Amino acid sequence: MLGYIIRRLLIMVLMILLVSTMIFLLFRTMPGDPTASMVDPSIPREARQALLERYGLHESLWTQYAIFMKDLVRLDFGTSYFYNRPVLRVIQDRLPATLILMFTAMLFAYIIGIFGGAWMAWKRGTKLESLGITFSLIFRSAPTFWVGLLVIMFFAVRLGWFPAQGMRSTGYVGNTFREIFLTTDFLRHLVLPAFTAGLYFLATPTLIMRNSMLEVLSEDYIEMAHAKGLRERRVLYRHAARNALLPVVTAGALFIGAAIGGQVLIEVVYSWPGLGREIVQAVTRSDYPLAQGCFIILSTLVMVMNLIADVLYAFLDPRITY
Amino acid sequence: MSFLDVTDLDITYTVGAGSLKAVDGVSFSLRKGESMGIVGESGCGKTTIAKGLMQLLPKNGAITRGSITLNGRELVGLSKEAVRRLRLKEIAMISQSAMNALNPVYTIGDQLVEGIMAHTSFGNRGAYKRAVEVFEMVGLEEKRMRSFPHQMSGGMKQRAVIAMALSLNPSLIIADEPTTALDVVVQDRILHRIIKIQKEINSSMIFITHDISVVSEICETIVVMYGGKVMEMSPTDTFFRRPFHPYSLGLKNAFPLITEITDELISIPGTPPNLLLELKGCRFNERCPFAQQKCAVELPLFYEPEPGHKVACHFPERVEEFRERSSHRDTWEVVRERLIREYMEKGAVEYA
Repeated sequence: MLGYIIRRLLIMVLMILLVSTMIFLLFRTMPGDPTASMVDPSIPREARQALLERYGLHESLWTQYAIFMKDLVRLDFGTSYFYNRPVLRVIQDRLPATLILMFTAMLFAYIIGIFGGAWMAWKRGTKLESLGITFSLIFRSAPTFWVGLLVIMFFAVRLGWFPAQGMRSTGYVGNTFREIFLTTDFLRHLVLPAFTAGLYFLATPTLIMRNSMLEVLSEDYIEMAHAKGLRERRVLYRHAARNALLPVVTAGALFIGAAIGGQVLIEVVYSWPGLGREIVQAVTRSDYPLAQGCFIILSTLVMVMNLIADVLYAFLDPRITY
Repeated sequence: MSFLDVTDLDITYTVGAGSLKAVDGVSFSLRKGESMGIVGESGCGKTTIAKGLMQLLPKNGAITRGSITLNGRELVGLSKEAVRRLRLKEIAMISQSAMNALNPVYTIGDQLVEGIMAHTSFGNRGAYKRAVEVFEMVGLEEKRMRSFPHQMSGGMKQRAVIAMALSLNPSLIIADEPTTALDVVVQDRILHRIIKIQKEINSSMIFITHDISVVSEICETIVVMYGGKVMEMSPTDTFFRRPFHPYSLGLKNAFPLITEITDELISIPGTPPNLLLELKGCRFNERCPFAQQKCAVELPLFYEPEPGHKVACHFPERVEEFRERSSHRDTWEVVRERLIREYMEKGAVEYA
């Protein structure tokens, strides 16, 4: 098991280098010139040249690539053109907010999705089942910014239960992780965006769980569990759901990548200072180092989640050993 | 009143727009400690009876008529909870596909203990102790309690399923083709183990199989089913010496006993009837070499050639003749030719 994880980590490092190369080239082939957005076009040619030299953009692609990779290995993603701060610091500021929002939303979606999907399979062919499918698909198909606005209108404006914007109340200043994230104020701000994102994520685990449950419910060991005189709920959740979980776990790991993309709109609607918003802005500002850094972090995240899913398999299914 | 009484049992499946009576007016009874074999081709309703007794019918199936009484208690129409309490404790099933009857993600021990705990006030430890006891009864070592199903051979899994079924000394065991998936040597050993334990705990058993030679070895009574109906019901020894029903005669040709040396195997031509159609006469009439006009339109009633022996045929007086003729291949060949001819004619009509 440990050997397997180590092997996987080594492969991951190779993958990250490969992905970084692709990301590097991707930004270099994109139209547009970073200086154009940073520097007033009317400045003298010499000043522009000086800027280019300062950021090393006058070098050949190969030299730039070599420098980029050399720094990457030392976990140095460079300095953001826009913020003029090290990329890693910018990401460090933004990533926790995004991750907390995302995992809360996924937790919400997965808990409801797994139990709901299992229950829907049990109620196969009833009105309740089609109601459940429709419900989850509505929020999957509806634009998240629209759902977000409705949620704000209802829970923040009409009922006034939760704040509508931002991550903390105005005037509150926190410096450490604890001061920022472990406060009831933060949690209150988290509720609505997490709820909205959760509704959007809901369809995937629900429908996969339902399908996989339907398959499992026709297995002989389910009949056997009934024949043993177990209670229905026990058969459903202990015997069937446990076996139906595997595909849901896989989908969850793959879903992370899509989730971050899907979350951009929610971060915008709720003015959530997360990474999603930052990426979009970095790309439009041709802020190469920041955009590169964000993408590399995200792809690492997806790989890590995949590894976690694979390790989880071994715990969920004793037939799998590494 | 016997230990188990099944009376006029109908079990119907809803299929698409129509419905199908998989079990049609079946009655039998079973004494305490008696073992009965139900035999017949695939689709004759034998597994449906097993599921009906356990009340494990799929959603589209239901008991539509008749009664099942166990120890004088009516089982049809019991509440879900009452049925749940009966399962495993009173009626235990050794299922058809033991290979897949164990949940792959839990250890065998957990699965046994779980069943025991669902019906007793044993704590975890008491249930474990009981599980080890039944494990020993079926010849599995205690360390196998910690194995997962994929770590065991087919024979071991089968024995684990048997252990599970016997864990609470059920008064009725339903064994639905318990050894079909195993090789012949293991099959034999496991059969004898089941019988031995069944005698030890003095439970009644219904043994469902398509292999009548197995029934001849281990069951006291045999019920021959065809198309959802009982064709013949008899003590096993008389049945194998002198079958009465033409279908039984055909079955016996197809499954000769090892003790009887026959020259050749003769199969019964044709296929079981389509139960979706409305059938009036004897279910076997299409494939019966002795069928007359009457057989297609009138349902034969049981006659009893001797006490405890029932045969559903219109021609009790011609049994000797049937027996004589059924041992010749030609008799059945005629049926085959007739079936082919009918099939061709039907095709011709459809084309025209």
